[in-house]
Amino acid sequence: MPLLDAQNVSKAFGRFRAVADADFAVDQGEIIGLIGPNGAGKSTLFNCLAGDMVPNAGRIIFDGADVTRASAEAHARVGIGRTFQVPTTFEDMSVLDNVMVGAFLRHPHRDDAREQARRIVELTGLKPDQRARSLGTPGRKRLEIARVLATDPRLLLLDESLAGLTPGELQDAIALVRRLHEMGITIVIVEHIMEVIMTLTKRVVVFNQGHVIASGTPEEVVADERVIEAYLGRTGTPERGSKP
Amino acid sequence: MKKLAAPPLGLTLLAVGLVLYPLLFSDAFYRDIGVTFLLAAIAASAWNIVGGYAGQISVGHSMFFGIGAYTPVLFYTLWGWPPLVGIPVGILLSLALAAVIGLPTLRLSGHYFSMATIAVAELIRILVGTWNFVGAAIGLQGPARGRAWWDLTFRSELPYYYIFLVVLGIVLAVTATFESRRFGYYVRAIKAGERAAKSLGVPVHWTKMQALLLSAAFTSIAGSLYVVKTGFVDPGSGFGILVSVQMVIVAALGGAGTLYGPLLGALILIPLQTATNNWLGGGGSGLTFIIYGGIIVLIARFEPGGLSELWHRLLRKRWKRVDATA
Repeated sequence: MPLLDAQNVSKAFGRFRAVADADFAVDQGEIIGLIGPNGAGKSTLFNCLAGDMVPNAGRIIFDGADVTRASAEAHARVGIGRTFQVPTTFEDMSVLDNVMVGAFLRHPHRDDAREQARRIVELTGLKPDQRARSLGTPGRKRLEIARVLATDPRLLLLDESLAGLTPGELQDAIALVRRLHEMGITIVIVEHIMEVIMTLTKRVVVFNQGHVIASGTPEEVVADERVIEAYLGRTGTPERGSKP
Repeated sequence: MKKLAAPPLGLTLLAVGLVLYPLLFSDAFYRDIGVTFLLAAIAASAWNIVGGYAGQISVGHSMFFGIGAYTPVLFYTLWGWPPLVGIPVGILLSLALAAVIGLPTLRLSGHYFSMATIAVAELIRILVGTWNFVGAAIGLQGPARGRAWWDLTFRSELPYYYIFLVVLGIVLAVTATFESRRFGYYVRAIKAGERAAKSLGVPVHWTKMQALLLSAAFTSIAGSLYVVKTGFVDPGSGFGILVSVQMVIVAALGGAGTLYGPLLGALILIPLQTATNNWLGGGGSGLTFIIYGGIIVLIARFEPGGLSELWHRLLRKRWKRVDATA
């Protein structure tokens, strides 16, 4: 049984169908990439998977339970964690306090939550007393990951969490995602940087105009005619490491 | 067993100062300023729970203040019951009203909650102003002379001062307690970003509701204290928009979402208000509106975090300078 099973999920805004019959599954322990051109519907699908939006049709099953209409809070409680495309840190709070908000989900007592938060902050290489406001983009993205990690997620949805990083920061971030995967967390990652997808994932699902147009290993999808057409509008192979 | 930490020096000095103030300034005028300051600090601290910490800006908190003020004197007028009996009933009514307003509006984002609170408070003010059962436009009066201590009618300002001080202590203690617990983290997270808070499992609607209920209860108590002190309430002094605005301004001036911000705001605003009223006589009361307007503009433009934020920024700068020279 897959950990996450999205069955014919559709989401429309008025007459515009952002996601149309998306159908894919994620097994326990997998790390899969979700790619597609801008406006393909990846973030909308992410919002549906994370409980931020309710799909118009289809079902989302997590660990055998139907979470299609469950709230974002309920998604976090069952173990689905997410980050946002634009980092949404709690600006006036310290790094540790940000992470504690997540930690309180499984550790209602302050001392336990602080202990859990300290462990996570150390793992992610952040400074606990630094104010979130003073962090740069890489720090904010790292803090978002730390915060969601504190909720003990079983499935982590990373929405372009590695975008906008320098090559050095990118390698650090890739190493961090690997560590999370080694900890047993199943990961779905939306990313435009092909280097990340090729390095981290074993399976890639490609989205275009709301539809899943291809699925397979990274090597298979980059050679897929439909994928090339979706990205470039003509035949050709996207270069490894390039931004499609 | 955990050792209790000693209170910080600033807090100790503040507490000692507040306890000694009416003994050092025994003139009725100064004691009255002290009582007014404490009442403003209690009401603003109560507003601060939902408006400052949780970021749900209510501009109609006078509805809870008014209910808290009217209920004790209504009970006295109808059945001669001491105002003390009406205080818990006022709290219950305020809680019920908060639940009715909060249930639908706290689910919405943006300014719907603020608009709903203004609308309901104004509606209640108009209703009370035309309803003979609660004294209509004339209002209601409490006991002119206390039959016993439980009527809470004293000749001197001193008992009021210390009663108000104890209530302020309770409000601050409750706020300080939740500030360092899960609820405190949750309300601050909601204020900073509801969507992100939800994604971390924060029960956003219920947490906002709890903040509103707690805030409404304390605001109701503030209203009750007001009426036992003045012995009189009418629609304007109980439910008027200025009552709500003063809570917002006092908290915002000192620092909304901080424990001592409302205290600091009241410490500046109340003497200022009293001074303008005294210097300019009856015409001075109009100046209050101008001062409020000016303060809103200044805070919004230069220091949205209020004076406590300014103070912390100055302290950080000073520490940096000390570090650099060390």
